[in-house]
Amino acid sequence: MLDAVRPDLDYHALNAMLNLYDDQGKIRFDADRMAARQYFLQHVNQNTVFFHSLDEKLDYLVDEGYYEKQVLDAYPREFLHEIWGAAYKAKFRFPTFLGAFKYYTSYTLKTRDGKRYLERYEDRVVMVALTLARGDQTQAMHFMHEILSGRFQPATPTFLNAGKQSRGELISCFLLRVEDNMESIGRAINSSLQLSKRGGGVALMLTNIRESGAPIKGIENQSSGVIPIMKLLEDSFSYANQLGARQGAGAVYLNAHHPDILRFLDTKRENADEKIRIKTLSLGVVIPDVTFELAKRNEDMYLFSPHDVEKVYGKAFSEISVTEKYAEMVADKRIRKKKINARAFFQTLAEIQFESGYPYIMFEDTVNRANPIAGRIAMSNLCSEILQVNQASEFDEDLGYKQMGTDISCNLGSLNIAKTMDGPDFGATVETAIRALTAVSEMSSINSVPSIRKGNDEAHAVGLGQMNLHGYLAREHIHYGSPEGIEFTSVYFAAVAFHAIRASNLLAREKGTTFKDFDTSDYANGSFFDRYVTKDWLPTLPEVERLFADVTLPTRADWEQLKADVMAHGLYNRNLQAVPPTGSISYINNSTSSIHPIVSKIEIRKEGKIGRVYYPAPFMSNENLEYYRDAYEIGPDAIIDTYAAATEHVDQGLSLTLFFPAEATTRDINRAQIHAWKKGIKTIYYVRLRQTALEGTEVQGCVSCTL
Amino acid sequence: MKDHVMGAPARAINWNRLQDEKDLEVWNRLTVNFWLPEKVPLSNDVQSWATLRPEERELTIRVFTGLTLLDTIQNTVGAPVLMKDAVTPHEEAVLSNIAFMEAVHARSYSSIFSTLCSTREVDEAFRWSEENQHLQQKARLILDEYEVGSDPLKRKIASVFLESFLFYSGFYLPMHWSSRAKLTNTADLIRLIIRDEAVHGYYIGYKFQRAMEKLDEAKRNEMKDFAFALMFDLYEIEAHYAEELYDGIGLTEEVKAFLHYNANKALQNLGFEALFPPAACEVNPAILSALSTDSENHDFFSGSGSSYVIGKAVATEDEDWDF
Repeated sequence: MLDAVRPDLDYHALNAMLNLYDDQGKIRFDADRMAARQYFLQHVNQNTVFFHSLDEKLDYLVDEGYYEKQVLDAYPREFLHEIWGAAYKAKFRFPTFLGAFKYYTSYTLKTRDGKRYLERYEDRVVMVALTLARGDQTQAMHFMHEILSGRFQPATPTFLNAGKQSRGELISCFLLRVEDNMESIGRAINSSLQLSKRGGGVALMLTNIRESGAPIKGIENQSSGVIPIMKLLEDSFSYANQLGARQGAGAVYLNAHHPDILRFLDTKRENADEKIRIKTLSLGVVIPDVTFELAKRNEDMYLFSPHDVEKVYGKAFSEISVTEKYAEMVADKRIRKKKINARAFFQTLAEIQFESGYPYIMFEDTVNRANPIAGRIAMSNLCSEILQVNQASEFDEDLGYKQMGTDISCNLGSLNIAKTMDGPDFGATVETAIRALTAVSEMSSINSVPSIRKGNDEAHAVGLGQMNLHGYLAREHIHYGSPEGIEFTSVYFAAVAFHAIRASNLLAREKGTTFKDFDTSDYANGSFFDRYVTKDWLPTLPEVERLFADVTLPTRADWEQLKADVMAHGLYNRNLQAVPPTGSISYINNSTSSIHPIVSKIEIRKEGKIGRVYYPAPFMSNENLEYYRDAYEIGPDAIIDTYAAATEHVDQGLSLTLFFPAEATTRDINRAQIHAWKKGIKTIYYVRLRQTALEGTEVQGCVSCTL
Repeated sequence: MKDHVMGAPARAINWNRLQDEKDLEVWNRLTVNFWLPEKVPLSNDVQSWATLRPEERELTIRVFTGLTLLDTIQNTVGAPVLMKDAVTPHEEAVLSNIAFMEAVHARSYSSIFSTLCSTREVDEAFRWSEENQHLQQKARLILDEYEVGSDPLKRKIASVFLESFLFYSGFYLPMHWSSRAKLTNTADLIRLIIRDEAVHGYYIGYKFQRAMEKLDEAKRNEMKDFAFALMFDLYEIEAHYAEELYDGIGLTEEVKAFLHYNANKALQNLGFEALFPPAACEVNPAILSALSTDSENHDFFSGSGSSYVIGKAVATEDEDWDF
């Protein structure tokens, strides 16, 4: 077909041809492969610094201050030759233009003027492996093979930064509490600047902030509520970015029963006043079960002043289960309150989601019921997959700590489901990934925010994610959301949970220590394992059995043994799994994002740094298109059911996006939210809409344009 | 029916009595597509703007002042004169929406300017737009057709050419930048404008075709001759305009292919056959693909995308809360 392609086209034009059918109505996959090749010929190869030998290259990069010397010094030279030799022998090639373009634009090491490339993909992989293995040669080889084969992909901060001399942090994500006093607010803004500068996404919980019009020092109508704090945070995040490598980004969470909730949502309205409009800060709403009960009965929902709640109960609003105390707080005259209609609240939520995609939602009681760790979870993060407990800090007037609490950090990495299923040893892949993530936690010490450092030191929380579910299922001729697809998801995630816990238990034994509050967790008393020792999590459908034919799955007896080992020796990591949305890394890794369906057969990807680029779904050809129905065709229910099957086995959360055609109504969104809540989903991430072009106005022959 | 006969009672618009279903369909589409420039985080393009060479910056500002001029004409003259020609009250309502959105578009370019450029640069570009003969010529040609006393159908032709053809020599540049990862948020905003203009051109063209059906063949031929003659005139000016703007960065040939493609689209909106052969319309795939506004998977942290709309609010019922 490429004979028809004009030879003078550059790689951007070739890549864009993916989005235009050829005259036979076929998708031009070959144009994209040609784009990837031309990208190397026309651009990468010409702009890569050439070295005669590995030694020359490493010496140069260390002498010039590009590579961290300590990383390489931990290994003998012969080993470095061995690992680099093994990596280059694998003959890695980018299968798509976007994969290559994204890698060279955003990840690879460049000269200081940003003009020439100093690394190929293999170099980056080896440097990440060497950094995380900290001198352990066997481990370094394992890491290198798992990453280069595509089975394990560290999250962006780790993959981008490891081994570089001037770099940001290796950790992806931070979560901060904000308490109802000026010291805590000031410290939170400072922490946001510090963390944003180092490249993490930051989420802050505003639930405990007193509402607009609440008294300050007993004088009525003094507080300005949460909106001005959001404004300060939004500006802080746009100011601080990681050496320009990543845009600063933040999220704020608010409980649905906070009196400022409607104002909070209105900041994303299309016609919001400039003074209160929030453009780039992400919003999340924490919804307890009682809100659903009230909406079911079509009653009003009361909103409670956090200031009064704290005075009455002696603890912060976020420390209280609104569901549990609802009737009590309604009856308590000391707590000032107002009310809104519960169904109208849900409708407003959906209206704002239509206009902006926000807010995220966290189902508070579902999350806390599923939490094996002692303590409450009252917020999530920028991608709504981190769910961990935290503790408030108290500050002196000079912003020093009177009492240091714990805040949350999480480093992430994801397995490519297709590659992991194809791999030689399922359990070993999961174990290696957990070890790599643990290494990131151990190597990180966020001194600028001591409460984060403390949380990380005590918890060693990690988040192992998954991606390429849809790509894998389609390759195996299974429809996303079919009974086979859902059963596969359940069995796969149970097996991942088993090996992740097994790996963390091994780490606890090797290191002779557990995470801080292990003794009060459901792991320690064994109750966490009830559902695994009383029920099989094995395939029942023949199609699913076929998929797992070469994978050893854990039996009930294996789980019994693991339970005994964990109760005896503990776990090293307080948290193990979290399924992130995987944007960038899934393109490099040639995966479909997370465990979502594809958004389009040819995805139009738009980002600040790369512009608009076109991405074909993995394993797709003109012959198997029927298995690539997109998220809008599949609809929210099948996505929710798939996520529900995975959620049962994930100790933290999963970024779940809902997709609707623009013709949908707020009622459709509300129904999906209710379905998700009923199915035990923990969080909802974005709502995405697709508007089909009015007939007669569409771009003709365009693959991503649906009619 | 619109009759402003003296002494006739004033009539309220009844959207439950439609003479033409298309009016409601387009009304619905335009209203859900409502947007304001404040929603797009243009300031994220400040760094990218600084990477453009001075001549590229000047070109970009000029292109946008050119677009501002066209939007101003359509807002203050075009849509209002078309309203007078409306044959249903609903068409009049749709046109009032079109008029307003054209004002929003004109306003948007100023948002871009105030975010990215200095006052001096912008003032210079506005002066340039007043002095540029090609720009003034095409504005003149369109305004002449909008003049009182001209044929309502000819006004529609001029209007479709403005909406579906004349804008695109300007739209080319932001699409080009965004395919090279520059000014991507500005491109988002332009894509919102393109989303609107596509519907405007289509709708006015649709009304033109309905009106043509009522004419006899001789009159139809006259209209067609007029349309092609006007297109030839506009194309000639447009080709000069493109050369003047784009020769400096060597993109003129590509822009012309894009003009051909859009000229054909404009004629298609009027129900006429294409003027330029396919070989002359081979638009760079990167630009063509960049025109599609739907199903874009954007990264929320660096932009706001162009696919969000104002949703239809429908209350939930008891059956939805069945748990």
